[in-house]
Amino acid sequence: MALEEAVKQEITELITANEVVLFMKGNRQAPQCGFSATVVGILDSMLPDYQTVDVLSAPHIRDGIKIFSSWPTVPQLYVKGEFVGGCDIIQEMFGTGEIYKTLGVEPIEVVQPSVEISAAAVTALEQAAAQHSGEGRELHLSVDATFQSNLSIGPRTPADVEALTSGVLILLDPISASRADGITIDVADTPNGQAFKVDNPNAPQVQTMTVGELKAAIDANEIVELLDVRTPEERAIAAIPGSVLLNEEEAARIEALPRDTKLILHCHHGGRAQQAAEQFISLGFTRVFNVTGGIDAWSQEIDPDTPRY
Amino acid sequence: MALQIINAGPPPEEIAEQIRQAIAQRLPDATIEVRAEAPGHFAISVTDAIFGGLSRVAQQQRVYGAIAELMAGPNPPVHAIDRLECRVP
Repeated sequence: MALEEAVKQEITELITANEVVLFMKGNRQAPQCGFSATVVGILDSMLPDYQTVDVLSAPHIRDGIKIFSSWPTVPQLYVKGEFVGGCDIIQEMFGTGEIYKTLGVEPIEVVQPSVEISAAAVTALEQAAAQHSGEGRELHLSVDATFQSNLSIGPRTPADVEALTSGVLILLDPISASRADGITIDVADTPNGQAFKVDNPNAPQVQTMTVGELKAAIDANEIVELLDVRTPEERAIAAIPGSVLLNEEEAARIEALPRDTKLILHCHHGGRAQQAAEQFISLGFTRVFNVTGGIDAWSQEIDPDTPRY
Repeated sequence: MALQIINAGPPPEEIAEQIRQAIAQRLPDATIEVRAEAPGHFAISVTDAIFGGLSRVAQQQRVYGAIAELMAGPNPPVHAIDRLECRVP
């Protein structure tokens, strides 16, 4: 299949006009596939700014770039007009540190995170490492973009960072290290036996917002997403102006938004909204607010015309 | 639940042979092995002196470039290459 001249020219312009260009699914704020998200995570840790091209919204580029690069998959990274590789290769180059030279940036200054491990967890970790057969029995801790932690055992890679611990060697990749300072690791009993319990103080938390702050934000036209998590029946009784019912359709729309979108949730008194807010945090949203006291506080403090029930 | 429709294409062995021929056309001196792994998924191993001195990316580009046509379009016979090994003899 020949590459159309116009498409070839468009791609050539993209990769020459920008020093670093990532052809990907979705965009930097909301990658639409795991491979694209991985590469974005790596690039974000090194570059303040780079160009992305969303192939999902440009099917001619999606087909064209595969022929242009002689490479069958997306994401694809171009630096200074040269094809660098896809997800596997970028990960490998990040592991060896080669990527810094390719991008022409100084290796990121990595601060060693402090990790506190309880005595019981030290014992359990040592046991797990001892049971592991094969090359490389180092303990690795990774923290993904949604601040979920994962412990694994494997060989050390050149880019790995050692955590500051009391005795046990724990390795992290540089991106995880930047999210890990102050982590505590303990063991806890679960219905399925003993498991590691990792607490990360850097993980985003649900924030609170008073009805007064909500009113001020509405008046200042600052409300982007005000979500009502109650039932349609309750909403028929009373609703805060500008809010939308969080039904399935609406939830799907929110999930596709950039992860730093400000989400404000409310319910009747605050309980259900808290649960929903925690859900959005677990999806990776970083600015999630629960309106303290819910619509009942709104009725009492802001607008007495909003019926109470 | 949405029903998944599986379109039965040519048998995997036939597609594997198409892949082999496409690579052989571009790299006539290469030793080529193609194995069907799952429907639409293949593993390829190519040995050719031409790979000498090329980076891993450049080696793989030679092979992917040769089979681009089989992987293009909305419902191509080849969905994914699960493994691609390029070796110098």
